[in-house]
Amino acid sequence: MSATQSASPDRVLLGCESCGLVSASALASNPLDGVDEAETRLQRCPRCGHALLFRKPFAVQRTWACVVAAAVLYVPANALPIMVTTNALQREEHTLLGGIHELWVDGSWGLSIIVFIASIAVPVLKIGVLGLLAWTVRYAPSWRRLERARLYRLIETVGHWSMLDVYVVVLLAATVRFGSLASVAVGPGLLAFASVVVLTLLATWAFDPKLIWRDDDHRVPATTLAET
Amino acid sequence: MSRDDDALVVCEQCGLPHRWLPVTGREIARCTRCDAVIGRGHRLSIGSVLALTIAAAAAWLVAMTAPLMSIDFRGGAEAATLPQAIVSAWRGGQQIVALVAALTALIAPAAFIGLRLYVLAPLALGHRPAGFAWCVRLLHQAGRWNMIEVFTVGVLLSLVRLAGFADASPGLGLFALGAVTFLFATIESAGLKHLWWHAA
Repeated sequence: MSATQSASPDRVLLGCESCGLVSASALASNPLDGVDEAETRLQRCPRCGHALLFRKPFAVQRTWACVVAAAVLYVPANALPIMVTTNALQREEHTLLGGIHELWVDGSWGLSIIVFIASIAVPVLKIGVLGLLAWTVRYAPSWRRLERARLYRLIETVGHWSMLDVYVVVLLAATVRFGSLASVAVGPGLLAFASVVVLTLLATWAFDPKLIWRDDDHRVPATTLAET
Repeated sequence: MSRDDDALVVCEQCGLPHRWLPVTGREIARCTRCDAVIGRGHRLSIGSVLALTIAAAAAWLVAMTAPLMSIDFRGGAEAATLPQAIVSAWRGGQQIVALVAALTALIAPAAFIGLRLYVLAPLALGHRPAGFAWCVRLLHQAGRWNMIEVFTVGVLLSLVRLAGFADASPGLGLFALGAVTFLFATIESAGLKHLWWHAA
C-alpha cells in the first residue's frame, strides 16, 4: 500500500465513512488551515449518499464539552453510593472504590483488578487522553503525532468496558429481592457514573483523529494521482 | 471479492489516501502515516456471515428470554433475564440507567442482528434490499453502541459477587450469551464496507 496525494492543493480525496468509496472534493478554503471552521461544503458520496466531510464539524468544541461534563460528573460518581444493600441487620452503602476494596479484602484480587481497570482506570484514562488530544490539536500540533494517534485508537477500543459496573449493579438489584432479609437497590451514584461512561463515549466519537495530522500533509512522500 | 471500482482507499483515522493493493488471507494493510488498519484480507463470504448471523439470532433469543442466573436464599428463589433487570431498574426509579442499559445491551445488539439479516439475506441472493444505504449506516451506529461482550462479563461478575452470600448458579441464558459474544466478535470482524462491493 503506498501513499498518494492529490495532484493539486485545492483538491482533496475524501473517503466515505459508510461505504469507503473515495471521491475527489474541491475545497472552498485551504484544508490545512484552521481547526474547526466549517471548511467543507456539503458533498454527498456518489455511491451511498452519506455526507462526505473533510473533518467532523466542531470536533474540538464538542470533545471539550463532553470531556468537561464527564470530569464534573466523575466527582458524584465516586462520592455517592452506586449500590445500597439491606439485610436484616443493617443497611450498607457501596461506592465504586468501596466495591473494589471489598473484592480485594475478600481475596478476589483478579476480579478486583478487572473492576478497578474498568471503573476507575478506563474513565480517568479517557478523560485525560481526550483532554490532552483536544489541547494539543491547538497548542502543540506537531508533538508526537504517531503516539497521539495510537492513544486515540486505544481509548476507542477500551472505551465501552467502563459500562461493566453499571450492568453488575442493575443485575444485582434485579436478582437480590428478598424484602427485609436481603435486597439490593441502585444508588444515586450509578446515574452519575453511567453518564460519565456515555459522555466519554460521545467525546471519543466527537473528536476527529484527522486533526492530529493537521499541517502534516506536506511531509508525506508524494506520488501523484496520475500514477494510480 | 471484488473491489474493482475502488483504486484508492483513504485512511479513516488520518485521512491519508493510499493506492489500494489487494490483501489476502490473514494479511493486514496499515496506513503508512498513522499505522491504523486500512484493510484486511476477508476470510468470510456473505454466505458465511449470514449463517453466523442466523446462529447469533437464535442464541440471542435464548440469551434474552432464559434466566441468566438464579439464586437461592433461605428458601426464596430469584432468577433474572436482561429485560426483567431493565424493567426492575426502571421501576426502582432509575429510568436513565435503565435506558442506558437497554440501549447498549438490548436495542443495539437487536439492531446489530436484525439489520444484518435484512441486508445479508437479499445480498446472498444477489440483490440489494430497499433502504440498503440507510441500513448500513444504522449498522455502523448499532456496532458502536453494542456492548454485549461487556454485559456478558458483567453477568459473570454478578454471579461471583452473589456467590458470597447466597446459592447462586448460572442459568441457560448465560451460556447462550457466551455464544452470542463470540458470534458477534466474528461477525464484526467481517466489517461493513465490503457489503458495498457486492452485487448492485
